[in-house]
Amino acid sequence: MSKVEFKNAQKAFGAVKVIEGLSLEIPHGSFAVLLGPSGCGKSTLLRMIAGLEKLTGGEVAIAGKRVNDVHPRDRDIAMVFQNYALYPTMKVRENIAFNLEIQKLEKREIERRVSEAADILNLRPFLDRYPKELSGGQRQRVAMGRALVREAGVFLFDEPLSNLDAKLRAHMRVEIRQLHERLGATTLYVTHDQIEAMTMADIIVLLDKGAIVQVGTPDEVYEKPNSVYVADFIGSPSMNFFDGEIEADGEEVRFRAANLSIPLEARYRGQAGKSVKLGVRPNDLHFAADGAFKGEVILSETTGAEVQIHVRIRDSDVVAVAPRTERRVHGEAVALSVPPGKVHIFDAQSERRIEPQ
Amino acid sequence: MHGTKFARTIRFIAAWLLVGLFFFPIYYWTSVAFRNGRDIFSRPPKIFDFEPTIANFNAVFGISFEGGVPQITPGGGNFYMAPRLWDSIVIGVGSTLIAVAIATLAAYALSRMRFKGSHHFVGWVLSTRMLPPVAVAVPMFFIYRQFNLLDTYTGMIIIHAIMNLPLAVLLMKSFFDDVPNEIDESATIDGASRWTIFRRIVLPMAKGGIAATAVLCFIFSWTEFLFALTLTQTDVRTVPVVSTTFVTSVGTAWGNMAALGAAAILPAFIFVLAVQKHLVRGLTMGSLKQ
Repeated sequence: MSKVEFKNAQKAFGAVKVIEGLSLEIPHGSFAVLLGPSGCGKSTLLRMIAGLEKLTGGEVAIAGKRVNDVHPRDRDIAMVFQNYALYPTMKVRENIAFNLEIQKLEKREIERRVSEAADILNLRPFLDRYPKELSGGQRQRVAMGRALVREAGVFLFDEPLSNLDAKLRAHMRVEIRQLHERLGATTLYVTHDQIEAMTMADIIVLLDKGAIVQVGTPDEVYEKPNSVYVADFIGSPSMNFFDGEIEADGEEVRFRAANLSIPLEARYRGQAGKSVKLGVRPNDLHFAADGAFKGEVILSETTGAEVQIHVRIRDSDVVAVAPRTERRVHGEAVALSVPPGKVHIFDAQSERRIEPQ
Repeated sequence: MHGTKFARTIRFIAAWLLVGLFFFPIYYWTSVAFRNGRDIFSRPPKIFDFEPTIANFNAVFGISFEGGVPQITPGGGNFYMAPRLWDSIVIGVGSTLIAVAIATLAAYALSRMRFKGSHHFVGWVLSTRMLPPVAVAVPMFFIYRQFNLLDTYTGMIIIHAIMNLPLAVLLMKSFFDDVPNEIDESATIDGASRWTIFRRIVLPMAKGGIAATAVLCFIFSWTEFLFALTLTQTDVRTVPVVSTTFVTSVGTAWGNMAALGAAAILPAFIFVLAVQKHLVRGLTMGSLKQ
């Protein structure tokens, strides 16, 4: 059982506090993605688990055992680095076998594990090549092979796909996920790419400025982002936001902004009079003649199956995603509507989600 | 590398002119070694059409070809310099080995380990090169006399190694800095000790850097004059020092001096040739990052 835990973990580089009192538990066997913009401390967190960074306070535990002072090699972990960190003077075979050699395993056992890893990762034809003779994707697989043969309880990935081209990245996402299903090891995966997070994770841990902003399944963080920050970070294209107020007028509860009036669900009645931010995902905006969002098309981008239509409503731009058949031309006057259940309401000051029952 | 045929031709000619410019002094000096006195001083100077002779080498190295058989007759005359060439080789190779060995270890530590004052350490290492050698030559003489190091291989090897250390350390440090730290970290997780990482991973990656550093150390030692002059007397004498003995009260033995000079190019040339394969990679390593 290799669950990973942080208990009030802290990390400072000199006077700069990178992580301040962070607690988190990743259950055994799950695929957790640490997501956030660069500089949010996600890589530091991963390196703290690996033992490459010492904690300045608190505790990190693997499989229920405090590992703060345990050497990286004894933590039952394997790590894949962003730039692969392959040993350039060793052949692929030696790269993969290196840690087994250090462990002084029997030759036959080393041979068995290397060839097993090579089969899983389709590396057999490359075993006697040097890393510099491989393509980016192949190098990435060697790095994974090196982690694989350790048969570790916890796998750590530090932005492993960021050096690959888009197509290969999509392919490797699937491979890494399949590998995870196969091995069942606890996996922590650091990325700044929300698509990687959404497609691969069992649990997304969204970070900002060294603190956890939200932890949840991909569905949870997408459907119920707990703050403007999360709502803005998750989803592509990003959520549209409007500043305004909640008004209750008899039966009706509405969101009202300068040029906008949108019906809300009755449960927001208690929030009447509050200044809020209203968020709408681009896919939840539909063309409708009587729609509340009236504006003019300024740009239409085709992504293949869909079109992203940018609409200028007074002085703010809104993005709507529509099927390809809904193509609009530049300058066309359009109206968009959103179903009442599909809006996200956040407090204007704290930017936290308002979720009355 | 495109351009018109004309531009290419110009570039080609310019490149060869430059090569010629650098190569000509070497050629001329070497050719002097094979001339007799009359041809050395002929006016206008003879570039190619002199009568070759090995008399100069005969005097300097005791080699003669009388009867078509090469004969080596050591100890011949004042200008017999073969042992001096050997002295230079011993001191050059010895001091290079020591300097590179120490510098490699020191540079790895400076590149990878954080210790108190590690930042100042680099500046301090460099500062030892800021002193003009002549300022320490006389004090070194007295120190060496005290320790009985005057006129010995050990003494010369030590002083040349010390002289080369700062530059070698800084050079090696830059090569180690080029090895990404993730590689060390990856090996740490793989369970390798610091020493294993150094020996099995980082050192092989820095081979080119070691070769480049060794070449520089060897050449500095090979051509060093001041310490070799002040710290030796009769037992050990290096080529640069004995070159001056060809200037005598009755004239300068140009031919003999050139013979020694030409011969002195050889060991350095062979040394560079031996490490050349790594050298080119070493000198360009910074540009090949990832």
